[in-house]
Amino acid sequence: MFTPKTMFAAASIATAALLLTACTADDTTDTQSGLSLDLENLATTTTPGTEPVDEVKWNLPYEPMSLDPIFGFNYAENTVTANLCESLVRMKPDLSTEPGLATNVAQPDDTTLVYTIRDGVTFWNGNPLTAEDVAYSLQRQVGETATSYFASYFVNVDSVEVTGPSEVTVKLKQPDVLFAQAMGTAAGAIVEKAAAEAAGEAFGTPDGGLQCTGPFSLEAWNSGRSIQLAANPGYWDATLAPKVQRLSFSFIADESTAVNALRTGDVDGQFFYLPPAGLSQLENGDEVTTTYGESLVFWTMITTNLTGGLADERIRQALSLAIDRKGLAKVVFQGAAVPATTLAGPGYWGYETDAFATAFEEFSADADLEQAKQLVAEAGAPAEPIVLAVQGSSAVHEQTANLIQAAGQAIGLKIESKVIPVEQFGNLYFDENAREGLDGFFTTNYGNFADPLDVYTMFHTADSHNYSGWDGADEQLAAARRTTDPAERAELVIEAQEHITKGLSWIPLAYEPVTLVQNTRISGATASFAYLYAPWAATIGGVK
Amino acid sequence: MSLGTYALRRSGGLLLVLLVTSFLVFGLLYLAPGSPLAFILGPRGGTPEQIAMVTEQYHLNDPFFVRYAAWLGDILRGDLGYSIVYRQDVSALISGRVGTTLALVSMAAIIITVVGIGAGTFAALRGGWGDQLTSALAAVGLSTPSFVIGVALISVFAVGLGWFPTFGSGTSGVDTLWHLTLPAVALSVASAAYLARITRAAVLEESGREHVQTATVRGLAPGRIVRHHVLRNSLIPIVTVLGLTIATLIAGAVVIENVFALDGLGSLLVRAILQRDFAVVQAVILVLVVAFVVVNAIVDFLYTFIDPRIALGSRQ
Repeated sequence: MFTPKTMFAAASIATAALLLTACTADDTTDTQSGLSLDLENLATTTTPGTEPVDEVKWNLPYEPMSLDPIFGFNYAENTVTANLCESLVRMKPDLSTEPGLATNVAQPDDTTLVYTIRDGVTFWNGNPLTAEDVAYSLQRQVGETATSYFASYFVNVDSVEVTGPSEVTVKLKQPDVLFAQAMGTAAGAIVEKAAAEAAGEAFGTPDGGLQCTGPFSLEAWNSGRSIQLAANPGYWDATLAPKVQRLSFSFIADESTAVNALRTGDVDGQFFYLPPAGLSQLENGDEVTTTYGESLVFWTMITTNLTGGLADERIRQALSLAIDRKGLAKVVFQGAAVPATTLAGPGYWGYETDAFATAFEEFSADADLEQAKQLVAEAGAPAEPIVLAVQGSSAVHEQTANLIQAAGQAIGLKIESKVIPVEQFGNLYFDENAREGLDGFFTTNYGNFADPLDVYTMFHTADSHNYSGWDGADEQLAAARRTTDPAERAELVIEAQEHITKGLSWIPLAYEPVTLVQNTRISGATASFAYLYAPWAATIGGVK
Repeated sequence: MSLGTYALRRSGGLLLVLLVTSFLVFGLLYLAPGSPLAFILGPRGGTPEQIAMVTEQYHLNDPFFVRYAAWLGDILRGDLGYSIVYRQDVSALISGRVGTTLALVSMAAIIITVVGIGAGTFAALRGGWGDQLTSALAAVGLSTPSFVIGVALISVFAVGLGWFPTFGSGTSGVDTLWHLTLPAVALSVASAAYLARITRAAVLEESGREHVQTATVRGLAPGRIVRHHVLRNSLIPIVTVLGLTIATLIAGAVVIENVFALDGLGSLLVRAILQRDFAVVQAVILVLVVAFVVVNAIVDFLYTFIDPRIALGSRQ
């Protein structure tokens, strides 16, 4: 991201050119050349490294707040936890699933799920994994006041019980396809009951430690400094036995510092969730390889209410039609993004791919100013300007707002942006008062697994993310969540998608691929979004 | 004034300062919009039940004075509070980071002292081109923000030449010194430039004094004159400025720690402010205020050594 701060720094450095050696001078020459990414063909894996490696140093964009999986719902947290704690179902790099800590999931009826727990799995401390541990890990996320960040997947859970020596049965109040799929995310991660109970609230913090079964174990968390993982010699899955002995994480938040650390080899790799300003610098050098991976992340504009300037569906449609998405992907995301036509893009089609693909083709990302103007004429332009919230000191936010402002101007809509400091921006997500006077704001968002329903569920009127109270697809969404048959479900989801994409209470803008940067001495990290939930570092090895 | 009274007066003053700052810090944070809820509940927001429970659990809706009193009481018992964002004791968060900031500030202080006094004295005594060059460099140093210097240093010495690491505070000992060199230089440039100016002025002023001229006329060795008559008498303004700059370094470290990704109090403070992590912000600021006051006390104390005519606790 180009913050004003780094821009100023860059300018000052340029003027102080005398001080600088050739290293920075020649970088500026061909930043305009396109990035080497094929957006139609995003990667899921990178060539597995073959040689054993003593240590791999990885950077996180910030220090995790907790490593307890139930609080892992964000980039830095999950990047670490994915290697430590395993889920009942394992997400593969191509976002499909395979058995994880559960060898089998039986569904005797639509409201019962029976998990058979894998034999011979031990926690890092040597204790065997039991059905008790599994039941405990799920139970602590059930209930109205459960603090798990994944609580919304557990709303339909009635009970979780140990029903055999290695069997756990989950009873649902009503059929819920999201629950079953969530078991492939950190929501289904299993921790040791004894360790979690002993540590209490400190579990997963630098003081409280962690106890899981993954290919890496938590060796140390030096608060503020680093997190150290060690290869787990007793890991049950030989195919994912780590070739890396130590995996250590640093927390460089400043983007230019992170890019420099990657260029000098002080850090061996990083996943970026927004393309860093120095991306072309990295790509042009030969110190690292950059891979763009399959992703579930999208960039969107959320309508906060249906009373203001965006109240009329035709106005939202007109605005969406006027946006130059290709320009946005190219300029704002430096080419490292794909224009979005729906919210849940191709990455989400984990089942009934053809049906989703056909439905997807109906939508276009091309701007159509004539039609947009016509829609505005029909609806009548709102008297009051449309106010969009922009996160302070974020170039991606600011530039997107400028682009949309220009789009609005072209079709006769008055759009204003209002800068909200980054420290208050988070309040927009849950505090109604913070959203007052705003018609919309921007956000990156992601669903957790390859089912568009996971994203679209946020448009149910009962969901806490449906800020505007838009209710155009409640019926289909509720029905889809209950429908276990994939073909039937796809039909309902496609119907909901059509309503949601036409209703536009969120305007889709861009799909953001995962940006994986690895030092050339290593290879093998998972390149796809699965890096948030499955052991992405177990396949890393040295390159000869 | 005896040493005992002095110590008593000093600690009394310290407590008063702390009380006032604590009230200001607590009050300002309380008035500032935003709450830690966003960070406790996570990116998916939270259900109304969760929001209510967390608000209740951490007394986020209690009246201002109730929370302030509770916090003061805890501090008096030696409890710096609990970070609800990190789910950790604040004292643990601080003790893990104070070492890095201390090392960084100490290194910067040494650089400032050596370079500032050295360059200032050189400029004053050498005169001519030496004076002009030093003054010009000092002007550039003073006017360049420390993060710009930091970024430039990384570009040249870490990325370009590969002599230093790009970030972090290293493991321990020599490695830490090596890691902290660039940040310490970046942190000290402006202050060293300022001190050089002050030193230059003080030395020039002392050099023009009668007793120095007398000494020169009497044919004393120039080195001796500089050491005993000029520098010694210039020390009062130099030490005053040095003390104040070192105290402000602690605040300047906030920016530098961010640029170099150091695990110090500064980066902790920045994140805590962004996350509305009240307890951490209050505790860190408290620590910074204490450090400021202590450094000032040391400076005061030094006066009596530099010039025995100055009584303990007076600045005349």
